Amino acid sequence: MTAVSTRSERAVSPSGPAPGIQPRRRLRDSLTHPRGTGIVLVLPAVIFVTVFVLVPLVVAVYISLTDFPLIGSYRFIGLTNYISALTDPAFGHALLYTLIYTAIVTLPILVLGYVLAVLVRRRRRGSTLLRTLLFIPYVVGLTTLSFFLVLEAQPGSGAVNIVLRALGITDGQTAWLVSGPLATGLICTLVVWAVSGLTMVLLMSGMQGIPSDVYESAAMDGATWWQAERRITIPMLRRTIILSLIISVIGSFLAFNQFFILTAGGPGTATTTAVLHIYNKAFVQLQLGAASAESILLIIVTGLITAVQFWLLRERDSGKGALR
Amino acid sequence: MEISRRRLLGLAGAGAAATIAGVLSGCSSTLPEPNVAAADFGSRARGTVTVWTRSATQTGMQGIVDRFHKAQSDIRIQLTPVLDAQYVTKLATAIRGGEVPDLVDMDDINSSLFIYRDTFTELTDLVNDLPYRDKLSPGHLALASLGDRVFGVPFLADNSLLWLNTELFDKAGVDPDEATQSIESLREALPRLTSAKDGIYAWSFPGNGQGALGFTFLPHIWAQKADVFHGKIGSQTGYVTENEPLRQTLEFFRDMWTQKCAPPSCFSDAATHWGSDFLAGKIAIFPGNYAAVVSAAPKSMLPKLKPVVIPGPGGGRCFFDGGDNLCMPRGAKNPSAAWEFAKFTLEIAQQQSMPTGGYTPIRSDANTASFQKQYPLDTTPLQNLDLGYAPQSLAYNVAINQADGPFLAMFRRAVFDGDVDGALETAQTGFDRLLKEVQA
Amino acid sequence: MTAITVSGRRESGTKIALYSAGFVLSVIVFMVPLLFALFRAFQPAAVIQNPPSTSTFFHLGWMNFAHLGSQAHLGESIVNSAIVAVATAVLTALLATLAGYGFAKFRFRISNWLFGLIVVTMMVPFQAILTPLYLQLNSMHLTNSLLGLVLFYTTVNLPFGVFVMRNAFESVPAELEDSGFVDGAGTTRMLVSVLRPLILPGVATTALYAFLASWTEFLGALTFLTNAKLYTLPLALVNVQQGAYGQVDFGLLAAGAVVAMIPCIVLYAALQRFYVAGLASGAVKG
Repeated sequence: MTAVSTRSERAVSPSGPAPGIQPRRRLRDSLTHPRGTGIVLVLPAVIFVTVFVLVPLVVAVYISLTDFPLIGSYRFIGLTNYISALTDPAFGHALLYTLIYTAIVTLPILVLGYVLAVLVRRRRRGSTLLRTLLFIPYVVGLTTLSFFLVLEAQPGSGAVNIVLRALGITDGQTAWLVSGPLATGLICTLVVWAVSGLTMVLLMSGMQGIPSDVYESAAMDGATWWQAERRITIPMLRRTIILSLIISVIGSFLAFNQFFILTAGGPGTATTTAVLHIYNKAFVQLQLGAASAESILLIIVTGLITAVQFWLLRERDSGKGALR
Repeated sequence: MEISRRRLLGLAGAGAAATIAGVLSGCSSTLPEPNVAAADFGSRARGTVTVWTRSATQTGMQGIVDRFHKAQSDIRIQLTPVLDAQYVTKLATAIRGGEVPDLVDMDDINSSLFIYRDTFTELTDLVNDLPYRDKLSPGHLALASLGDRVFGVPFLADNSLLWLNTELFDKAGVDPDEATQSIESLREALPRLTSAKDGIYAWSFPGNGQGALGFTFLPHIWAQKADVFHGKIGSQTGYVTENEPLRQTLEFFRDMWTQKCAPPSCFSDAATHWGSDFLAGKIAIFPGNYAAVVSAAPKSMLPKLKPVVIPGPGGGRCFFDGGDNLCMPRGAKNPSAAWEFAKFTLEIAQQQSMPTGGYTPIRSDANTASFQKQYPLDTTPLQNLDLGYAPQSLAYNVAINQADGPFLAMFRRAVFDGDVDGALETAQTGFDRLLKEVQA
Repeated sequence: MTAITVSGRRESGTKIALYSAGFVLSVIVFMVPLLFALFRAFQPAAVIQNPPSTSTFFHLGWMNFAHLGSQAHLGESIVNSAIVAVATAVLTALLATLAGYGFAKFRFRISNWLFGLIVVTMMVPFQAILTPLYLQLNSMHLTNSLLGLVLFYTTVNLPFGVFVMRNAFESVPAELEDSGFVDGAGTTRMLVSVLRPLILPGVATTALYAFLASWTEFLGALTFLTNAKLYTLPLALVNVQQGAYGQVDFGLLAAGAVVAMIPCIVLYAALQRFYVAGLASGAVKG
């Protein structure tokens, strides 16, 4: 892939490094891709991210060390907010709920996405159309879908209840959004339904990158479809699966919009996710110091979970499932 | 061009420090207070006045602004409607950021929060000089004051009352005045007013709509002067477990629920269509406000309506003195013109136009004979202005008006789960914790 | 697109049957709810909030949409949303393309470090930085303005865009660039003429993703916009949904949500040729 001629090469001092001194690798500036241009190209994006994300983040860290009440004066109180956050049952409850919610939706999203990817990956009649249609819920977005669901979850008049009543499962009066478990179940269903399209597309692209002769030789060895999937497709999709999982988990962990619109975290705090809890603390209780501390903690936890995912799914040398 | 990693970090650190300093320092100092004692303050003012209004009351406000513009041409009002749920935060951030409107039309229950933190202009002398000062709603004024110092004026009233369907009372043979004397008399009357086979219920309440619920439930206990917020603003505790009127009122609702005197929809009713069952003629007693009942009533319903002030356990009466106050933030750029506009809104003519928006005037002398003829159903609060009350607390918004607040949880647990003791205990902890946090 | 079909062999009957069944089932499961939502918007509000009856299918009409238009703020909000979403899409695509090119093809010492910095911000929930950001934007006079909103949305969508564009550029063979250099192309011409066909999927992906994200975003809009004239559509819909003491017009909500939905679908259908390829290249080679 990389051509030879115009790429810059590491310049090595002809006489070799002086003893005891670490040689500084000097990059000879490329004629065609000068460093300066490179920096100028990336600078706008870097500036945006720095000014609008990193700086506020630093300010947030600072605020987290105060009792900033939005109205009135504030004092520096060190780590008090962090200690209260770690001992606050409401925050712990929100984190727990978020973890449970993430645990519930992650696997179904992956599995459903996988099944759909299998459905659309081959060039059959209508597969492109199918792929387009299945992705539309994701394109519409969870926010708009939540507005629809508000209407359809109403007892008596909402489509969810009408269908269940027609099937004879319930009496059609279930108030989904007023019960913690019911609302959670409904929201999880919505999320799996909407997000599986994304997983489908990611996995499908990965699947289409696997050369067909691999399957041909497997078929000639008498492998069944399921064996081929298990031993060829899944291992070769490893990176894509990891990517899907990470995107899905981070998204679930930071879930906010659908909960805000559908239940506002209620009844009580039964469906309050971590971010919703932080939002309430900052914008309703006006306790920005505490909310900032909780946000920082949340960022740390998200980072940890992502790191754990990477570790759990890391490449293992023992070639289980690798090709012979 | 080489940028070493170290240098980049150094630059970043310096930049961050500078920004933090800039962002935070520019917004921690208190804004200057306008000089309201100036000689011609509030007269012959000119220019633009920026006014924030609640999106729920913007139509009413817009009407008044239009009239103001017609009445004179020196002052122009620039109206910005703000979402109710975001009002407090937006105002607080604006104050923090140093860019405040000249006048804010805000939910009166929230004005104390800002007054307590010294962010509004003191208007005591100006208000006391008003010729109709003693006719103004004491409930609203209390919320706009700190002790004797006044920081705002009442603007409009949104009161909660019991609305009776006299036709259903006649059918059931119940005397409306007797039945609504107290919680006890209501308790007796409810089963008689319920007729399940006709789909008629005695009462309807929004069991999942904390704002509307607080609005209509709390006056029961205030009728006995037993507010859940105990003490002076800034140093309050919750008065829950020992609150006998509260316990009795919760038990009243619990019995109402178990005896099926209220429709099953109350369980999940979030007041999204508040009053629709009452206006459909299915409910005998509906705690609500003028807007939900009269403004939305079909013509045939109007003659059957009778409002009464909400009774408490053992008697007493009270109504929620809701509505809006007009306040002037410190740092207002055109305070004199703002005050002139504020006075305009208080004039009888403007106040008498309140019912068209679904509200009630805030001065008792607006209750003239012609007003009574035009809006017969909006006179009750004006005739009983002293019975109005709204709590002055820093924690009302978080404790009562939030879906995850202790008030709604307490109500639901006591009424739907039947565990009154547990509900009261948990609520006591909840209220105390919130008060402690917000008063820190 | 490499098909995995075993060459030369026709598919077995069972496989075709399974595919057809899967096709029909998944179309029903994924499309019917949306079609129903569309249908809902044509029902009068009174019908929506009541259990189904004889009148469910009658009185259908455009009244909810007309109502949307006549409510000044809702009509305006659609325009505001459009302006913000398009501007964000364009700005994000532009900045991401430049940065992607820089990261992929140019070597400078802090390149990886800066790239990591940009990507790591994807993990920062913007709700965490909302208030400090408000205070900061306020001091820059960017609150209560659509421009401030656009800048914010662009920033939020940059990490993903840079990620995708960098991958897109990395797949560009050096020969293509070399021939461009030989022809004397400077950076701009390189990007616009020489490399364009190869990077277009990535650009389309970035732009579409940014459009979708900002078209449906409401919390940032809620925080940074005070003047109701500037409200975006999702914000106006949240307003409708929450109401005063909660008098909610369900018809309005349904129509508003449909208006929020349609442009996403249309834009996606138009660009999906690029979008899927772009997503693929971003994900698979990432």
